[in-house]
Amino acid sequence: MITRRNLIGTSAVLAGAAAISGRVQAASIPEAVTTASPAMQPPLTPASGPAYQPVVTLNGWSLPWRMNGEWKEFHLVAEPVERELSPGMTAKLWGYNGQSPGPTLEFVEGDKVRIFVTNKLPEHTTVHWHGFVLPNGMDGVGGLTQPHIKPGKTFVYEFVAKRSGTFMYHPHADEMVQMAMGMMGFIVVHPRDPQERRVDRDFVFLMSSYDIDPGTSLPKVMTMTDFNLWTWNSRVFPGIDPLVVRKGDRVRIRIGNLTMTNHPIHLHGPHFEVTGTDGGWVRESARWPEVTTDVPVGGMRAIEFTAEEPGDWAIHCHKSHHTMNAMGHEVKTFIGTPQKDLTKAVRKLLPDYMPMGTEGMAEMGTMEMPMPDNTLPMMTGFGQFGPLEMGGMFSVVKVREGLARDDYKDPGPYKHPPGTVAYEVKGDIPDAMRRSDNSTKPGNVELSVVKPRTNRQGGQH
Amino acid sequence: MSAPTCVRATVFRRWSTLWRHKTQLLSFSALLLLPACASFSPDGGMSVTTDIAARHLRKDVVAIRNDEDADAARVKVDDLLKRTLNADTAVQIALFNNRGLQAAYNELGIAEAQRVQQSLPPNPSISISRLSGAAEIEIERKIAANILALLTLPARAEIATERFHRAQLAAALETLRVASDARKAFYRAVAARQAVGLLEQSSEASSTTAELAKRMTASGAMNKLDQSRQQLLHTELTTELARARQRATSERERLVRALGLSGKDLAFKLPSRLPSLPNRPPAMKTVEEEALNSRVDLKIARSELDSLAKSYGLTKTTRFVNVLESGYLDKRVEERATGEHKHQSGFELTLQVPLFDFGEARAREAEQTYMQAVNRLAQKAVNARSEAREAYRNYRTSYDVAARYQRDVLPLRNMISEELMLRYGAMQIDVFALLTEARQRIAANANAVDALRDFWLASADLQAAVIGGAGAPSDSPSSTTAMAGDGEPAGH
Repeated sequence: MITRRNLIGTSAVLAGAAAISGRVQAASIPEAVTTASPAMQPPLTPASGPAYQPVVTLNGWSLPWRMNGEWKEFHLVAEPVERELSPGMTAKLWGYNGQSPGPTLEFVEGDKVRIFVTNKLPEHTTVHWHGFVLPNGMDGVGGLTQPHIKPGKTFVYEFVAKRSGTFMYHPHADEMVQMAMGMMGFIVVHPRDPQERRVDRDFVFLMSSYDIDPGTSLPKVMTMTDFNLWTWNSRVFPGIDPLVVRKGDRVRIRIGNLTMTNHPIHLHGPHFEVTGTDGGWVRESARWPEVTTDVPVGGMRAIEFTAEEPGDWAIHCHKSHHTMNAMGHEVKTFIGTPQKDLTKAVRKLLPDYMPMGTEGMAEMGTMEMPMPDNTLPMMTGFGQFGPLEMGGMFSVVKVREGLARDDYKDPGPYKHPPGTVAYEVKGDIPDAMRRSDNSTKPGNVELSVVKPRTNRQGGQH
Repeated sequence: MSAPTCVRATVFRRWSTLWRHKTQLLSFSALLLLPACASFSPDGGMSVTTDIAARHLRKDVVAIRNDEDADAARVKVDDLLKRTLNADTAVQIALFNNRGLQAAYNELGIAEAQRVQQSLPPNPSISISRLSGAAEIEIERKIAANILALLTLPARAEIATERFHRAQLAAALETLRVASDARKAFYRAVAARQAVGLLEQSSEASSTTAELAKRMTASGAMNKLDQSRQQLLHTELTTELARARQRATSERERLVRALGLSGKDLAFKLPSRLPSLPNRPPAMKTVEEEALNSRVDLKIARSELDSLAKSYGLTKTTRFVNVLESGYLDKRVEERATGEHKHQSGFELTLQVPLFDFGEARAREAEQTYMQAVNRLAQKAVNARSEAREAYRNYRTSYDVAARYQRDVLPLRNMISEELMLRYGAMQIDVFALLTEARQRIAANANAVDALRDFWLASADLQAAVIGGAGAPSDSPSSTTAMAGDGEPAGH
């Protein structure tokens, strides 16, 4: 206790580590700002405290704070929320301040931060400040470093943001359930010097996964691997905003992974370098060029690139099942199984039946089939040339010339300069020549394979 | 009404005349007057049956007595057979056409003949004896009538009438039974046919799955094991279908027998489905009372009791008198030598003296027979009430079960099918899951048909329990078409 008080250096009200009553007057708790919209909000330019270059949270927002002396005070409310995963589907999750993930917390290196956490969940919770070096009693591991925050209670965490970098917050109490329910948020600590590692656009998103049966809205928290919704900031394509970038901008994308598997994030077009992990910034000499970076479970990656090439550049997880939406993993494969002639018989029993999958599943991208309520199509989204056949962890980095500095508005599809789009070859196309078409002379190469046999009679004894 | 009264009046007249020795001729002629009173009824006693059929069945009945009747019935049956049958037309056809029923009506004819017979006074016996001796020839003429038979004529006529009445009720009962049988056979036949239709759909589904499985084995997407399972399922369903077809044929033949059809009539058309469930079951609060009032078999038992009572009373009054004969005698004696006639006349009364048989045994027998009938009637009444209660409860239960299928199970099954179709659209499940579900839906439909059939059978049984005409209570085995719906869980 004494150590902590010394560290914090505050004479303000003391007593037990748990309840704030008696230490901070209830009236002095800052207002908990909430939002009901999953839309991406403009970067929150700091109005008090040290200046920094704010980040943009994909389909999210940053939490306003207030200065209380030298303390930056935030108020997080853990509560059940309804999050639109994509137009047409809303999930009943747990989150913070009206949304899952919770609002991004932005600190500046050296800030003294005081974070009030009010628990409006039906069960106890805590908040763990993932990646922070802080007093052990502020680490938020229920039972180990602090008492749990019971429903209806408000706890306060106080620590100094010692180093700049990329962090997360999430519960460390019944965490399997609470993280499967969407409780998480992003923390960015900006350098004290706004010019240090300065970029023009700084995007952040957290990766989380959910298992929500079609027609339901509550995640199945017992699922360990077979999730069916792979999300960025609890959104799935086509519900994920594009990452809009002005040509020539220096761009940083910070990615956190709170799913139960790794995600190789692949960016088309510009090459990037991994400049940061949850352990800190990567020394310049140690960076290497990449087009895909594997974000480990519970890990963070900051990647940076300069947007030189205009266009619509896809960014996605390279596990192709993660760029689908809810799908039945037990569905049999019908490729090469003609079904059309059986359709009539099936329709006698199932009038709305139409055969699928005989030629693959691409038709799913074009079909508008009626589906259960509150369900997203498995492959979806349309671009200027047709169906994208995507869902889940997929978005587009839209590099455009002449955008305003804080303009994150979707500029629409890229207008390709003439002659720069793949095109169909017309006219006579010769048949592909196959190796087997060359008359091979028998006997040229002869291999005789002798299958080794065990001598049963001899081998037995 | 008039026949028995008429007989009685005449006999009384005769009785007094006889004993007053007044005009013997008159009494003799009175004997000859008697037959004019009892006669055959114009409808052959069918009025009761017609009445009951009209009131409870709302159907016509006809006793076919001649070619014209037969032709008329034939025309009506032909007309009814032209259309798709329903339960009512099936009953009507049976009533016109069932030969067993006609046999029961013949029975009625026989009873009527006996009634007429019993209402006739005994034929007088006429005897002539001629004795010729050496001296004279004696001719004795005698007209004798069994007085006891005459004395008991009113009672006997009444008993015969009662018996006739009973025969009428029996014919009515048989009519109700034939109607009930026809109705039940109709429901069974339609239900069996409907089950075949459902199984045909089911086997179509399994044939599709089997074919898909075969193709998927060819494409490399399915192994031999799974393919064999799909194939086996189809084979089993096909077998089930063959059995169902056999059942449908049997039920149709039962209906054919109930309707008494043959030849070209066999081409009659059945509806493809059972009539739908009534919106609400007619409430029947007074089912027991109704049964006690309406049951034809109870009426028969009561009538039996009445006639036994009469015959019991009769036996008591006649226990000492067994044979009593009186006769008019006329004797003519002719002298052979002189040719002279001597004429004597008078009457004769013979009485058997009940020296050994005082009629006690017969009286006891009659008494016990009477009491037997009393007890039988009481037991019948107890049974009737119980049967009515049971039938009503069975009817209500089968209504509730059928309603649950119609209002809950089938809509839910449809909902499940629709939801699965949506999941298919969302690529959550594949066509195999859809077809499995289709089979389960069909099985539920088959169960619903069984439940509906049981309801209609129960309603026929209820009618039988309340009005009479119950055959064996319908065994509703609920032969739930065992369908292979090995609910393979749909892909998630």
